[in-house]
Amino acid sequence: MADSSIFWLRVAAVLYAMGLLHSMLAILKRRNDFYGFALGTFRVGVVLQGVAIVELAMAEGRLPVENFYGSINVCAFLIALVFLFVDWRYHFASTSIALFPLVFLMTLVAGMRQPVSAWSDVRVRDAWLIVHIILVLAGYAALLLTAVSSVFYLIQERRLKSKKSPSLLEKLPPLGTLDDLISTSMGFGFVFITLGVIFGVMWAYIELGTSWVGNASISLSFVTWGLCLAMIFMRASAGWRGRKAALMALVVLGCGALTWVAHAGLRPTLIP
Amino acid sequence: MKLLITGLSHHTAPVEVREKLAFEEQALPGALDRLCRRPGMVEGMILSTCNRVEVAVTAEESSDAANSVDEFLAEARSVEPSWVSPYLYHYNGPDAIRHLFRVASSLDSMIVGEPQILGQLKSAYMLAKEHGSVSGFLDLVMTRAFNVAKRVRTETEIGSSAVSVSYAAVELARDIFGSLSGKRVLLVGAGKMAESAARHLRRAGVSDILVTNRTRSRADALAEEFHGRVVEYDEMAVTLPDVDIVIASSGAPHFILTKDLMQGVITRRRHRPMFLIDIAVPRNVEPSVNTLDGIFVYDIDDLDRVVKSNLTARVNVAEQAEEIITEEVERMMLRLKTREVTPTIVSLQEQLELVRMSEIERVRAKLGVLTPQQQEAIEAMTRGIINKIAHAPITEMRRKANDPEGIQLIHTIRKLFRLGEG
Repeated sequence: MADSSIFWLRVAAVLYAMGLLHSMLAILKRRNDFYGFALGTFRVGVVLQGVAIVELAMAEGRLPVENFYGSINVCAFLIALVFLFVDWRYHFASTSIALFPLVFLMTLVAGMRQPVSAWSDVRVRDAWLIVHIILVLAGYAALLLTAVSSVFYLIQERRLKSKKSPSLLEKLPPLGTLDDLISTSMGFGFVFITLGVIFGVMWAYIELGTSWVGNASISLSFVTWGLCLAMIFMRASAGWRGRKAALMALVVLGCGALTWVAHAGLRPTLIP
Repeated sequence: MKLLITGLSHHTAPVEVREKLAFEEQALPGALDRLCRRPGMVEGMILSTCNRVEVAVTAEESSDAANSVDEFLAEARSVEPSWVSPYLYHYNGPDAIRHLFRVASSLDSMIVGEPQILGQLKSAYMLAKEHGSVSGFLDLVMTRAFNVAKRVRTETEIGSSAVSVSYAAVELARDIFGSLSGKRVLLVGAGKMAESAARHLRRAGVSDILVTNRTRSRADALAEEFHGRVVEYDEMAVTLPDVDIVIASSGAPHFILTKDLMQGVITRRRHRPMFLIDIAVPRNVEPSVNTLDGIFVYDIDDLDRVVKSNLTARVNVAEQAEEIITEEVERMMLRLKTREVTPTIVSLQEQLELVRMSEIERVRAKLGVLTPQQQEAIEAMTRGIINKIAHAPITEMRRKANDPEGIQLIHTIRKLFRLGEG
């Protein structure tokens, strides 16, 4: 019974991945034509996740929220239900940009409660880890560009507001150009970090089973990803620009830097 | 041959004098004709703008070109020579070339760096060229002047900043939006300055212009002129979130765009930047709107300050441009001297060769039949003599090509050897 619930949960995660894909396309291409399909798969995913929870509840004879995996699973399911209700009642589709990736990642983690067999080939294991590191570093590079552009935006905005024209600052790009640069670098940063986190989670799952959950350094990387998601969402939905966007970008970058530092000595603490 | 420029400009003459001396466009061909027919004139060109009237001529060395051009101006514009002469300036040789380069580069303009003067100079040159009154020396100097102007524009930032209120507004819009393509402009009211700013924005790539005005007929006329559309005055607030640039010039006695109104507008725009140009007096936009994130408000005084600051910057850049002009004048003078030396050397060698050949012919009959060896010896001897005679003047001309007295030396040698006018 428990095995089939894991199966349905993993299928739901795959279906939610379509939502993640929609979010990435919406952020990078600024187009929403994939939304209808992503919403369809998301609905099916919610049903399957519901089935998984019911099956597990029947097997255990209680609501399966007693451990980390169970609670994150139910939490993802409730978020998905709330989203579907809000979308049905208020047609508030813009929240999908943040909620689709969130539900996907939570479900992905929830689906990892049963360890799988270790790597069949050590080369695949190492390559997997390298891809994870490259993706995360590319994401941080993009976030650095976002933060620098945001600061330039702030300076240029101040100059235009103050109506003074110090010659050095006149060389800064126009606000519109900086805004485009911020959107693009933020989008790529989010995509790279999301893929990096997915690769990292899967690597840790195969390598370490369930023992990585609760590690502070890994939790910090989830916090960084969450802040990045929040930044993307606030920009897409509330149009955060100027001071707010610059501060948020600096916070995300700072958090990213901390994650990086925390990960520098992570492997020996995970693998004794 | 000498180059002379005679004229008056905003530096030397008030507008009432300039307008009397200005040539109408259709009168220019006839005037050029009369100018070039004057004794000693070789080439001529007339530049007539609202800020200057200048006559550039090349004339024979012996002629009194300065007086002749003064007389021409007085006759052509039917004014007394004594009335106009205090306002006139004359530039000769290198000074004329420098002046021409400065005018073309807009260093002598009322607004330093303005681009119109180069176009006006090109038009004057084209007309003179079509008319056949520019073909040699003046042609060479003019062509160089256009290249110098291009160099000044490329290597300095003389023309990069806006020096009119309308253009300053466009430049600020570019600082905010980058490309103006696809941006939407709303004209609130229909003042002349707003119209001018809208025209500049349209040229800069703005695609969509909306007009709103209390008087519908005026709004219709403006919308037609800019291929835009009219927005009912009462519906303005609804339209604002879709507008990127607002040019307010309405005669309303109170603020039309208040902070409360614009707070709602910028939220609905999700904080995408908005540029409000308020050129109305009394102002149409509440000044505190500028404190809202994403909205930039510039009133007429702000734009004026931008213009003044840019003008000061241009004066500083002009010093850099003057250095380029000095370098280019020196280069031009060198080129002109080299241009005069080479034909003189060739003429001298041809002249001496002619003398040698005619002398050999003259004595051949007296010497009777000569053996080939004897003929060869005579050829070698006479050739050696003329080479020795020519050596000193040719060396001296080449040596002095870069010196100011080089031209004088060329004239002396031409006169001594009777080489004629080259």
